Amino acid sequence: MDPTNTEIYNLVLHDAPYVIAGYGVLWAALVVYVGMVLRRIMRLEKEVLILGESVARRSAE
Amino acid sequence: MKQLKVAIVLLVVGGLLTTAAFFMAFYTAEVQRFGTITVAEQLDTVIPLESVTADGFQYGRPWFSQKIFYFHVPVAEASFLVFGVAAFFAIRFLMTKKREYDTKSRMAMETSLIFVILTMITGMLWTRASWGIWWEWEPRLTTYFIMTLLMIAYFVLRNSIEDEERRATYGAVFAIIAVIDAPISFFITRLIPSSHPVVFQSGMASSNLVPFIVAQVGMLMVGYAIYTMRMGEEILSERVEAVKEALED
Amino acid sequence: MAAGTQARPSARSLSWRQFKAILRKDIVMELRTKEMVTSMGLYSLLTMVVYQIALSQSGSAFDPRQIAAGLLWLAFLFTSMLGLNRSLVHEQDQGCLEALLLAPVDRPVIFFAKAIGNLVFLLIVEVLTIPVFAFLFLQGGGYGGAWWMIPTVLTAGSIGIAGVGTLLATMSVNTNGKDFVLTVLMVPLMYPLLLAAVSATTAAVLGGDGSVDQFWAGMGGVAGYDVIMLLAAYALYEFVIGA
Repeated sequence: MDPTNTEIYNLVLHDAPYVIAGYGVLWAALVVYVGMVLRRIMRLEKEVLILGESVARRSAE
Repeated sequence: MKQLKVAIVLLVVGGLLTTAAFFMAFYTAEVQRFGTITVAEQLDTVIPLESVTADGFQYGRPWFSQKIFYFHVPVAEASFLVFGVAAFFAIRFLMTKKREYDTKSRMAMETSLIFVILTMITGMLWTRASWGIWWEWEPRLTTYFIMTLLMIAYFVLRNSIEDEERRATYGAVFAIIAVIDAPISFFITRLIPSSHPVVFQSGMASSNLVPFIVAQVGMLMVGYAIYTMRMGEEILSERVEAVKEALED
Repeated sequence: MAAGTQARPSARSLSWRQFKAILRKDIVMELRTKEMVTSMGLYSLLTMVVYQIALSQSGSAFDPRQIAAGLLWLAFLFTSMLGLNRSLVHEQDQGCLEALLLAPVDRPVIFFAKAIGNLVFLLIVEVLTIPVFAFLFLQGGGYGGAWWMIPTVLTAGSIGIAGVGTLLATMSVNTNGKDFVLTVLMVPLMYPLLLAAVSATTAAVLGGDGSVDQFWAGMGGVAGYDVIMLLAAYALYEFVIGA
Protein backbone atom coordinates (compact mmCIF):
# COMPACT_ATOMS: atom_id res chain seq x y z
CA MET A 1 0.00 0.00 0.00
CA ASP A 2 1.12 3.48 -0.77
CA PRO A 3 2.40 4.66 2.62
CA THR A 4 1.07 8.19 2.13
CA ASN A 5 -2.45 6.84 1.88
CA THR A 6 -2.18 5.29 5.31
CA GLU A 7 -3.44 8.28 7.24
CA ILE A 8 -6.56 8.64 5.14
CA TYR A 9 -7.29 4.93 5.30
CA ASN A 10 -6.77 5.01 9.04
CA LEU A 11 -9.24 7.84 9.36
CA VAL A 12 -11.83 5.95 7.36
CA LEU A 13 -11.17 2.55 8.90
CA HIS A 14 -11.44 3.92 12.41
CA ASP A 15 -15.02 4.97 11.75
CA ALA A 16 -16.00 2.02 9.57
CA PRO A 17 -17.05 -0.46 12.29
CA TYR A 18 -19.42 2.05 13.82
CA VAL A 19 -20.96 2.96 10.47
CA ILE A 20 -21.40 -0.70 9.58
CA ALA A 21 -22.82 -1.46 13.00
CA GLY A 22 -25.18 1.50 12.69
CA TYR A 23 -26.70 0.31 9.45
CA GLY A 24 -26.63 -3.32 10.52
CA VAL A 25 -28.45 -2.77 13.80
CA LEU A 26 -31.06 -0.61 12.13
CA TRP A 27 -31.86 -3.14 9.44
CA ALA A 28 -31.73 -6.13 11.76
CA ALA A 29 -34.03 -4.48 14.29
CA LEU A 30 -36.59 -3.53 11.67
CA VAL A 31 -36.52 -6.98 10.08
CA VAL A 32 -36.89 -8.73 13.43
CA TYR A 33 -39.74 -6.48 14.49
CA VAL A 34 -41.63 -6.83 11.21
CA GLY A 35 -41.06 -10.59 11.31
CA MET A 36 -42.52 -10.74 14.80
CA VAL A 37 -45.61 -8.79 13.78
CA LEU A 38 -46.12 -10.88 10.64
CA ARG A 39 -45.85 -14.11 12.64
CA ARG A 40 -48.43 -12.86 15.10
CA ILE A 41 -50.74 -11.88 12.25
CA MET A 42 -50.36 -15.31 10.64
CA ARG A 43 -51.18 -17.04 13.93
CA LEU A 44 -54.24 -14.84 14.32
CA GLU A 45 -55.43 -15.65 10.82
CA LYS A 46 -55.06 -19.34 11.54
CA GLU A 47 -57.13 -18.81 14.66
CA VAL A 48 -59.79 -17.02 12.63
CA LEU A 49 -59.98 -20.05 10.32
CA ILE A 50 -60.36 -22.49 13.20
CA LEU A 51 -62.98 -20.33 14.83
CA GLY A 52 -64.86 -20.02 11.55
CA GLU A 53 -64.94 -23.81 11.27
CA SER A 54 -66.29 -24.24 14.77
CA VAL A 55 -68.93 -21.59 14.13
CA ALA A 56 -69.96 -23.45 10.97
CA ARG A 57 -70.06 -26.74 12.85
CA ARG A 58 -72.19 -25.27 15.58
CA SER A 59 -74.66 -23.74 13.18
CA ALA A 60 -74.93 -27.11 11.38
CA GLU A 61 -75.89 -28.86 14.59
CA MET B 1 -56.84 -8.22 4.34
CA LYS B 2 -56.44 -5.22 2.08
CA GLN B 3 -54.68 -3.33 4.82
CA LEU B 4 -52.02 -5.96 5.17
CA LYS B 5 -51.37 -5.93 1.45
CA VAL B 6 -50.93 -2.17 1.49
CA ALA B 7 -48.59 -2.52 4.42
CA ILE B 8 -46.46 -5.13 2.69
CA VAL B 9 -46.27 -3.12 -0.53
CA LEU B 10 -45.23 -0.04 1.44
CA LEU B 11 -42.74 -2.07 3.39
CA VAL B 12 -41.13 -3.38 0.21
CA VAL B 13 -41.05 0.04 -1.45
CA GLY B 14 -39.74 1.68 1.70
CA GLY B 15 -37.13 -1.05 2.04
CA LEU B 16 -36.03 -0.55 -1.56
CA LEU B 17 -35.82 3.21 -1.13
CA THR B 18 -33.78 3.02 2.06
CA THR B 19 -31.52 0.43 0.45
CA ALA B 20 -31.09 2.72 -2.55
CA ALA B 21 -30.24 5.55 -0.18
CA PHE B 22 -27.75 3.27 1.54
CA PHE B 23 -25.89 2.66 -1.73
CA MET B 24 -26.12 6.29 -2.77
CA ALA B 25 -24.67 7.32 0.57
CA PHE B 26 -21.53 5.36 -0.19
CA TYR B 27 -21.28 5.65 -3.98
CA THR B 28 -22.64 9.02 -5.07
CA ALA B 29 -22.76 11.19 -1.97
CA GLU B 30 -19.85 13.51 -1.52
CA VAL B 31 -17.57 12.63 1.38
CA GLN B 32 -18.07 15.25 4.04
CA ARG B 33 -14.94 16.79 5.42
CA PHE B 34 -13.92 18.54 8.52
CA GLY B 35 -10.54 20.18 8.80
CA THR B 36 -7.67 19.25 6.52
CA ILE B 37 -4.76 16.86 6.54
CA THR B 38 -1.47 17.51 4.82
CA VAL B 39 0.55 14.74 3.23
CA ALA B 40 3.87 14.82 1.44
CA GLU B 41 2.88 13.12 -1.78
CA GLN B 42 -0.17 13.47 -3.95
CA LEU B 43 -2.75 10.81 -3.15
CA ASP B 44 -4.95 8.69 -5.30
CA THR B 45 -8.19 8.93 -3.30
CA VAL B 46 -11.81 9.86 -3.69
CA ILE B 47 -11.17 12.83 -1.48
CA PRO B 48 -10.62 15.94 -3.56
CA LEU B 49 -7.40 17.86 -3.30
CA GLU B 50 -8.02 21.15 -1.55
CA SER B 51 -4.79 23.03 -2.15
CA VAL B 52 -1.06 22.61 -2.53
CA THR B 53 0.89 24.37 0.18
CA ALA B 54 4.54 24.63 1.06
CA ASP B 55 4.19 21.60 3.37
CA GLY B 56 2.67 19.40 0.74
CA PHE B 57 -0.74 18.42 -0.53
CA GLN B 58 -3.72 19.40 1.53
CA TYR B 59 -6.81 17.22 1.56
CA GLY B 60 -10.09 17.62 3.37
CA ARG B 61 -10.13 15.35 6.37
CA PRO B 62 -12.64 12.66 5.40
CA TRP B 63 -15.48 12.34 7.83
CA PHE B 64 -16.54 8.79 7.33
CA SER B 65 -18.76 8.50 10.40
CA GLN B 66 -20.98 11.15 8.82
CA LYS B 67 -22.33 8.32 6.62
CA ILE B 68 -24.59 7.33 9.51
CA PHE B 69 -26.43 10.59 8.83
CA TYR B 70 -28.35 9.06 5.91
CA PHE B 71 -30.14 6.68 8.24
CA HIS B 72 -29.90 8.39 11.59
CA VAL B 73 -31.56 11.66 10.62
CA PRO B 74 -34.43 10.16 8.56
CA VAL B 75 -35.32 7.76 11.34
CA ALA B 76 -35.08 10.56 13.93
CA GLU B 77 -37.30 12.91 11.96
CA ALA B 78 -39.75 10.11 11.30
CA SER B 79 -39.85 9.46 15.05
CA PHE B 80 -40.76 13.10 15.77
CA LEU B 81 -43.42 13.06 13.08
CA VAL B 82 -45.00 9.79 14.22
CA PHE B 83 -44.96 11.00 17.82
CA GLY B 84 -46.88 14.04 16.61
CA VAL B 85 -49.35 11.76 14.85
CA ALA B 86 -49.82 9.79 18.07
CA ALA B 87 -50.59 13.01 19.94
CA PHE B 88 -52.95 14.11 17.18
CA PHE B 89 -54.92 10.87 17.49
CA ALA B 90 -54.86 11.31 21.27
CA ILE B 91 -56.54 14.70 20.85
CA ARG B 92 -59.04 13.18 18.43
CA PHE B 93 -59.79 10.49 20.99
CA LEU B 94 -60.46 12.99 23.76
CA MET B 95 -62.73 14.95 21.44
CA THR B 96 -64.75 12.03 20.11
CA LYS B 97 -64.21 9.24 22.68
CA LYS B 98 -64.11 6.76 19.81
CA ARG B 99 -62.05 3.70 20.58
CA GLU B 100 -60.46 3.49 17.14
CA TYR B 101 -58.57 6.73 17.77
CA ASP B 102 -57.14 5.32 20.96
CA THR B 103 -55.89 2.25 19.09
CA LYS B 104 -54.43 4.48 16.37
CA SER B 105 -52.70 6.65 18.94
CA ARG B 106 -51.22 3.63 20.68
CA MET B 107 -49.99 2.10 17.43
CA ALA B 108 -48.42 5.37 16.32
CA MET B 109 -46.73 5.62 19.70
CA GLU B 110 -45.37 2.12 19.35
CA THR B 111 -44.01 2.85 15.86
CA SER B 112 -42.46 6.02 17.17
CA LEU B 113 -40.87 4.18 20.08
CA ILE B 114 -39.20 1.76 17.68
CA PHE B 115 -37.86 4.66 15.64
CA VAL B 116 -36.70 6.44 18.77
CA ILE B 117 -34.77 3.39 19.92
CA LEU B 118 -33.19 3.01 16.47
CA THR B 119 -32.26 6.70 16.53
CA MET B 120 -30.64 6.28 19.92
CA ILE B 121 -28.62 3.28 18.76
CA THR B 122 -27.39 4.83 15.50
CA GLY B 123 -26.79 8.11 17.33
CA MET B 124 -24.69 6.44 19.99
CA LEU B 125 -22.59 4.66 17.37
CA TRP B 126 -22.02 7.97 15.62
CA THR B 127 -21.13 9.66 18.91
CA ARG B 128 -18.58 6.95 19.59
CA ALA B 129 -17.03 7.25 16.14
CA SER B 130 -17.06 11.01 15.95
CA TRP B 131 -16.60 12.23 19.52
CA GLY B 132 -14.85 9.16 20.88
CA ILE B 133 -17.44 8.59 23.63
CA TRP B 134 -20.64 6.60 23.77
CA TRP B 135 -22.76 9.18 25.50
CA GLU B 136 -22.64 12.79 26.50
CA TRP B 137 -25.15 14.80 28.50
CA GLU B 138 -25.59 17.28 25.76
CA PRO B 139 -28.90 19.19 25.16
CA ARG B 140 -30.08 17.27 22.11
CA LEU B 141 -29.10 13.87 23.43
CA THR B 142 -30.59 14.59 26.82
CA THR B 143 -33.95 15.89 25.60
CA TYR B 144 -34.19 12.99 23.19
CA PHE B 145 -33.43 10.55 25.98
CA ILE B 146 -36.18 12.20 28.03
CA MET B 147 -38.53 11.73 25.09
CA THR B 148 -37.69 8.02 25.06
CA LEU B 149 -38.43 7.81 28.77
CA LEU B 150 -41.75 9.59 28.25
CA MET B 151 -42.77 7.06 25.61
CA ILE B 152 -41.82 4.17 27.87
CA ALA B 153 -43.80 5.86 30.65
CA TYR B 154 -46.80 6.00 28.32
CA PHE B 155 -46.78 2.23 28.00
CA VAL B 156 -46.11 1.72 31.72
CA LEU B 157 -49.14 3.90 32.46
CA ARG B 158 -51.34 2.00 30.03
CA ASN B 159 -50.27 -1.40 31.32
CA SER B 160 -51.08 -0.51 34.90
CA ILE B 161 -54.73 0.34 34.23
CA GLU B 162 -57.34 -2.36 33.81
CA ASP B 163 -60.44 -0.35 33.00
CA GLU B 164 -60.47 0.08 29.24
CA GLU B 165 -61.99 3.53 28.97
CA ARG B 166 -59.82 4.93 31.71
CA ARG B 167 -56.72 3.42 30.13
CA ALA B 168 -57.54 5.09 26.85
CA THR B 169 -58.25 8.48 28.42
CA TYR B 170 -55.18 8.53 30.64
CA GLY B 171 -53.01 7.35 27.77
CA ALA B 172 -54.31 10.13 25.55
CA VAL B 173 -53.81 12.77 28.25
CA PHE B 174 -50.27 11.65 28.88
CA ALA B 175 -49.47 11.47 25.17
CA ILE B 176 -50.56 15.08 24.75
CA ILE B 177 -48.52 16.30 27.71
CA ALA B 178 -45.50 14.24 26.67
CA VAL B 179 -45.46 15.52 23.10
CA ILE B 180 -44.48 18.96 24.39
CA ASP B 181 -40.96 17.57 24.75
CA ALA B 182 -40.71 16.74 21.03
CA PRO B 183 -40.45 20.32 19.73
CA ILE B 184 -38.10 21.16 22.60
CA SER B 185 -35.83 18.33 21.55
CA PHE B 186 -36.14 19.21 17.88
CA PHE B 187 -35.31 22.90 18.18
CA ILE B 188 -32.91 22.82 21.11
CA THR B 189 -29.78 22.55 18.95
CA ARG B 190 -30.82 25.78 17.27
CA LEU B 191 -31.54 27.58 20.54
CA ILE B 192 -28.70 26.84 22.91
CA PRO B 193 -25.10 25.92 22.17
CA SER B 194 -24.85 22.22 21.56
CA SER B 195 -22.18 19.99 20.11
CA HIS B 196 -24.76 18.03 18.16
CA PRO B 197 -24.57 19.03 14.48
CA VAL B 198 -27.43 21.09 13.12
CA VAL B 199 -28.37 19.95 9.66
CA PHE B 200 -29.78 22.28 7.00
CA GLN B 201 -28.35 25.35 8.62
CA SER B 202 -25.52 25.79 6.19
CA GLY B 203 -27.12 23.93 3.30
CA MET B 204 -26.06 20.66 1.74
CA ALA B 205 -24.64 19.58 -1.59
CA SER B 206 -27.30 18.00 -3.78
CA SER B 207 -25.33 14.75 -3.91
CA ASN B 208 -25.85 14.58 -0.14
CA LEU B 209 -29.39 15.87 -0.14
CA VAL B 210 -30.75 13.32 -2.64
CA PRO B 211 -29.87 10.17 -0.68
CA PHE B 212 -31.11 11.87 2.45
CA ILE B 213 -34.50 12.64 0.92
CA VAL B 214 -34.76 9.15 -0.56
CA ALA B 215 -33.97 7.64 2.84
CA GLN B 216 -36.45 9.98 4.54
CA VAL B 217 -39.28 9.02 2.19
CA GLY B 218 -38.40 5.35 2.52
CA MET B 219 -38.29 5.58 6.29
CA LEU B 220 -41.69 7.26 6.44
CA MET B 221 -43.07 4.47 4.25
CA VAL B 222 -41.58 1.85 6.54
CA GLY B 223 -43.11 3.71 9.47
CA TYR B 224 -46.53 3.83 7.87
CA ALA B 225 -46.22 0.16 6.95
CA ILE B 226 -45.40 -0.81 10.53
CA TYR B 227 -48.29 1.28 11.77
CA THR B 228 -50.73 -0.28 9.28
CA MET B 229 -49.52 -3.78 10.05
CA ARG B 230 -49.97 -3.28 13.77
CA MET B 231 -53.43 -1.82 13.15
CA GLY B 232 -54.34 -4.87 11.05
CA GLU B 233 -53.09 -7.16 13.77
CA GLU B 234 -55.09 -5.28 16.38
CA ILE B 235 -58.31 -5.42 14.39
CA LEU B 236 -57.78 -9.11 13.72
CA SER B 237 -57.17 -9.93 17.37
CA GLU B 238 -60.22 -7.91 18.41
CA ARG B 239 -62.31 -9.93 15.98
CA VAL B 240 -60.89 -13.20 17.29
CA GLU B 241 -61.74 -12.15 20.84
CA ALA B 242 -65.27 -11.23 19.82
CA VAL B 243 -65.85 -14.54 18.05
CA LYS B 244 -64.44 -16.46 21.01
CA GLU B 245 -66.80 -14.69 23.35
CA ALA B 246 -69.74 -15.34 21.05
CA LEU B 247 -68.83 -19.05 20.93
CA GLU B 248 -68.67 -19.33 24.70
CA ASP B 249 -72.21 -18.05 25.10
CA MET C 1 -73.91 26.93 52.74
CA ALA C 2 -74.80 30.55 53.01
CA ALA C 3 -75.94 30.64 49.41
CA GLY C 4 -79.48 31.46 50.52
CA THR C 5 -78.59 34.98 51.60
CA GLN C 6 -77.62 35.83 48.07
CA ALA C 7 -80.44 35.49 45.58
CA ARG C 8 -78.35 34.53 42.55
CA PRO C 9 -74.67 34.23 43.24
CA SER C 10 -72.69 34.95 40.11
CA ALA C 11 -70.89 31.98 38.63
CA ARG C 12 -67.56 33.50 39.44
CA SER C 13 -68.12 34.00 43.13
CA LEU C 14 -69.62 30.54 43.33
CA SER C 15 -66.50 29.02 41.80
CA TRP C 16 -64.37 31.06 44.15
CA ARG C 17 -66.32 29.78 47.18
CA GLN C 18 -66.07 26.20 45.93
CA PHE C 19 -62.37 26.68 45.44
CA LYS C 20 -61.97 27.99 48.99
CA ALA C 21 -64.06 25.14 50.39
CA ILE C 22 -61.94 22.43 48.78
CA LEU C 23 -58.71 24.15 49.76
CA ARG C 24 -59.92 24.69 53.32
CA LYS C 25 -60.88 21.02 53.58
CA ASP C 26 -57.31 19.99 52.68
CA ILE C 27 -55.73 22.46 55.07
CA VAL C 28 -58.06 21.67 57.97
CA MET C 29 -57.42 17.98 57.53
CA GLU C 30 -53.69 18.64 57.51
CA LEU C 31 -53.90 20.82 60.64
CA ARG C 32 -55.75 18.02 62.36
CA THR C 33 -53.48 15.15 61.38
CA LYS C 34 -50.25 16.98 60.41
CA GLU C 35 -49.59 13.91 58.33
CA MET C 36 -48.42 15.45 55.05
CA VAL C 37 -45.93 17.94 56.43
CA THR C 38 -44.54 15.44 58.91
CA SER C 39 -44.02 12.71 56.36
CA MET C 40 -42.67 15.04 53.69
CA GLY C 41 -40.41 16.86 56.13
CA LEU C 42 -39.04 13.65 57.55
CA TYR C 43 -38.50 12.30 54.05
CA SER C 44 -36.53 15.36 53.01
CA LEU C 45 -34.47 15.16 56.21
CA LEU C 46 -33.64 11.56 55.39
CA THR C 47 -32.64 12.67 51.90
CA MET C 48 -30.08 14.96 53.55
CA VAL C 49 -28.60 11.96 55.33
CA VAL C 50 -28.32 10.15 52.03
CA TYR C 51 -26.63 13.21 50.51
CA GLN C 52 -24.05 13.05 53.27
CA ILE C 53 -23.20 9.52 52.16
CA ALA C 54 -22.95 10.68 48.55
CA LEU C 55 -20.64 13.55 49.49
CA SER C 56 -18.65 11.70 52.13
CA GLN C 57 -15.72 10.91 49.82
CA SER C 58 -15.58 14.25 48.05
CA GLY C 59 -12.74 15.66 50.15
CA SER C 60 -12.27 19.07 51.67
CA ALA C 61 -11.38 20.84 48.41
CA PHE C 62 -14.84 20.20 47.05
CA ASP C 63 -17.25 23.13 47.25
CA PRO C 64 -20.77 21.79 47.91
CA ARG C 65 -22.22 25.11 46.76
CA GLN C 66 -21.56 24.00 43.18
CA ILE C 67 -24.13 21.23 43.43
CA ALA C 68 -26.29 22.60 46.25
CA ALA C 69 -29.09 23.68 43.92
CA GLY C 70 -29.23 20.29 42.26
CA LEU C 71 -29.34 18.49 45.60
CA LEU C 72 -32.08 20.77 46.87
CA TRP C 73 -34.32 20.37 43.84
CA LEU C 74 -33.75 16.64 43.89
CA ALA C 75 -34.98 16.53 47.48
CA PHE C 76 -37.99 18.68 46.54
CA LEU C 77 -38.85 16.50 43.57
CA PHE C 78 -38.89 13.28 45.54
CA THR C 79 -40.59 14.84 48.51
CA SER C 80 -43.26 16.31 46.28
CA MET C 81 -43.94 12.93 44.72
CA LEU C 82 -44.46 11.45 48.16
CA GLY C 83 -46.81 14.28 49.09
CA LEU C 84 -48.77 14.27 45.84
CA ASN C 85 -49.33 10.56 46.04
CA ARG C 86 -50.55 10.83 49.63
CA SER C 87 -52.78 13.78 48.94
CA LEU C 88 -54.62 12.01 46.13
CA VAL C 89 -54.66 8.60 47.81
CA HIS C 90 -56.47 10.22 50.74
CA GLU C 91 -59.05 11.68 48.43
CA GLN C 92 -59.66 8.32 46.87
CA ASP C 93 -59.66 6.18 50.01
CA GLN C 94 -62.27 8.31 51.66
CA GLY C 95 -64.42 8.53 48.56
CA CYS C 96 -63.85 12.25 48.62
CA LEU C 97 -63.07 12.59 44.94
CA GLU C 98 -66.24 10.77 43.94
CA ALA C 99 -68.30 13.02 46.20
CA LEU C 100 -66.66 16.06 44.66
CA LEU C 101 -67.50 14.78 41.21
CA LEU C 102 -71.13 14.27 42.16
CA ALA C 103 -71.34 17.82 43.46
CA PRO C 104 -71.94 20.49 40.83
CA VAL C 105 -68.39 21.79 41.01
CA ASP C 106 -66.53 22.93 37.92
CA ARG C 107 -63.70 20.54 37.13
CA PRO C 108 -61.06 23.29 36.77
CA VAL C 109 -61.97 24.46 40.27
CA ILE C 110 -61.12 21.03 41.64
CA PHE C 111 -57.84 21.09 39.77
CA PHE C 112 -56.80 24.52 41.03
CA ALA C 113 -57.87 23.81 44.59
CA LYS C 114 -55.95 20.54 44.74
CA ALA C 115 -52.93 22.07 43.01
CA ILE C 116 -52.82 25.06 45.35
CA GLY C 117 -53.18 22.76 48.35
CA ASN C 118 -50.25 20.67 47.16
CA LEU C 119 -48.30 23.84 46.42
CA VAL C 120 -48.82 25.11 49.96
CA PHE C 121 -47.59 21.89 51.54
CA LEU C 122 -44.64 21.73 49.17
CA LEU C 123 -43.65 25.31 49.97
CA ILE C 124 -43.89 24.68 53.71
CA VAL C 125 -41.59 21.67 53.40
CA GLU C 126 -39.19 23.65 51.21
CA VAL C 127 -39.01 26.48 53.70
CA LEU C 128 -38.28 23.94 56.44
CA THR C 129 -35.71 22.07 54.35
CA ILE C 130 -33.57 24.94 53.13
CA PRO C 131 -32.24 26.08 56.53
CA VAL C 132 -31.48 22.49 57.47
CA PHE C 133 -29.69 21.95 54.18
CA ALA C 134 -27.71 25.18 54.55
CA PHE C 135 -26.83 24.26 58.13
CA LEU C 136 -25.66 20.78 57.20
CA PHE C 137 -23.85 21.40 53.93
CA LEU C 138 -23.19 25.06 53.23
CA GLN C 139 -21.44 26.27 56.36
CA GLY C 140 -18.50 28.45 55.51
CA GLY C 141 -19.61 29.28 51.98
CA GLY C 142 -21.38 32.58 51.52
CA TYR C 143 -24.60 33.17 49.63
CA GLY C 144 -23.83 35.07 46.45
CA GLY C 145 -27.04 36.41 44.95
CA ALA C 146 -29.70 38.85 46.00
CA TRP C 147 -32.01 37.67 48.78
CA TRP C 148 -35.16 37.58 46.64
CA MET C 149 -33.71 35.21 44.07
CA ILE C 150 -34.19 31.97 46.00
CA PRO C 151 -37.84 32.61 46.99
CA THR C 152 -38.67 33.60 43.41
CA VAL C 153 -37.26 30.51 41.77
CA LEU C 154 -38.57 28.31 44.57
CA THR C 155 -42.13 29.57 44.13
CA ALA C 156 -42.06 29.41 40.33
CA GLY C 157 -40.57 25.93 40.31
CA SER C 158 -42.99 24.65 42.94
CA ILE C 159 -45.95 25.96 40.94
CA GLY C 160 -44.85 23.77 38.04
CA ILE C 161 -44.25 20.74 40.26
CA ALA C 162 -47.59 21.11 42.05
CA GLY C 163 -49.61 21.81 38.89
CA VAL C 164 -48.30 19.02 36.71
CA GLY C 165 -47.92 16.77 39.73
CA THR C 166 -51.59 17.12 40.64
CA LEU C 167 -52.63 16.03 37.16
CA LEU C 168 -50.23 13.09 37.14
CA ALA C 169 -51.08 12.01 40.68
CA THR C 170 -54.78 12.06 39.86
CA MET C 171 -54.00 9.62 37.08
CA SER C 172 -51.55 7.47 39.02
CA VAL C 173 -53.83 6.86 42.04
CA ASN C 174 -56.19 5.05 39.69
CA THR C 175 -53.52 2.67 38.44
CA ASN C 176 -52.21 -0.57 39.87
CA GLY C 177 -48.76 0.71 40.71
CA LYS C 178 -49.70 4.05 42.28
CA ASP C 179 -46.43 5.62 43.45
CA PHE C 180 -44.24 3.76 40.99
CA VAL C 181 -46.33 4.99 38.08
CA LEU C 182 -46.19 8.52 39.46
CA THR C 183 -42.38 8.38 39.52
CA VAL C 184 -42.18 7.02 35.99
CA LEU C 185 -44.50 9.72 34.65
CA MET C 186 -43.22 12.59 36.71
CA VAL C 187 -39.43 12.48 36.53
CA PRO C 188 -39.09 12.76 32.74
CA LEU C 189 -41.89 15.33 32.51
CA MET C 190 -40.24 17.45 35.20
CA TYR C 191 -36.87 17.38 33.51
CA PRO C 192 -37.01 20.75 31.66
CA LEU C 193 -38.38 22.51 34.74
CA LEU C 194 -35.76 21.07 37.06
CA LEU C 195 -32.93 21.88 34.67
CA ALA C 196 -33.99 25.51 34.41
CA ALA C 197 -34.71 25.80 38.14
CA VAL C 198 -31.34 24.30 39.08
CA SER C 199 -29.59 26.70 36.72
CA ALA C 200 -31.36 29.70 38.24
CA THR C 201 -30.82 28.48 41.81
CA THR C 202 -27.14 27.82 41.21
CA ALA C 203 -26.75 31.36 39.89
CA ALA C 204 -28.45 32.65 43.02
CA VAL C 205 -26.28 30.58 45.37
CA LEU C 206 -22.94 31.28 43.70
CA GLY C 207 -23.48 34.88 42.63
CA GLY C 208 -20.65 36.61 40.82
CA ASP C 209 -20.36 37.96 37.29
CA GLY C 210 -23.17 37.08 34.94
CA SER C 211 -25.15 35.33 37.65
CA VAL C 212 -28.09 37.70 37.25
CA ASP C 213 -28.27 36.91 33.52
CA GLN C 214 -28.07 33.20 34.20
CA PHE C 215 -30.74 33.56 36.88
CA TRP C 216 -33.18 35.29 34.54
CA ALA C 217 -32.43 32.82 31.74
CA GLY C 218 -33.27 29.99 34.11
CA MET C 219 -36.34 31.82 35.35
CA GLY C 220 -37.47 32.28 31.75
CA GLY C 221 -37.28 28.52 31.30
CA VAL C 222 -39.19 27.89 34.52
CA ALA C 223 -41.86 30.47 33.67
CA GLY C 224 -42.28 29.15 30.12
CA TYR C 225 -42.61 25.61 31.44
CA ASP C 226 -45.14 26.73 34.05
CA VAL C 227 -47.31 28.54 31.54
CA ILE C 228 -47.33 25.77 28.90
CA MET C 229 -47.66 22.87 31.31
CA LEU C 230 -50.27 24.48 33.53
CA LEU C 231 -52.40 25.36 30.52
CA ALA C 232 -52.09 21.78 29.27
CA ALA C 233 -52.81 20.35 32.73
CA TYR C 234 -55.78 22.69 33.20
CA ALA C 235 -57.25 21.70 29.83
CA LEU C 236 -56.69 17.98 30.35
CA TYR C 237 -57.76 17.66 33.98
CA GLU C 238 -61.41 17.47 33.06
CA PHE C 239 -60.80 14.31 31.03
CA VAL C 240 -58.68 12.71 33.73
CA ILE C 241 -61.12 13.28 36.53
CA GLY C 242 -64.08 12.24 34.44
CA ALA C 243 -62.66 8.88 33.44
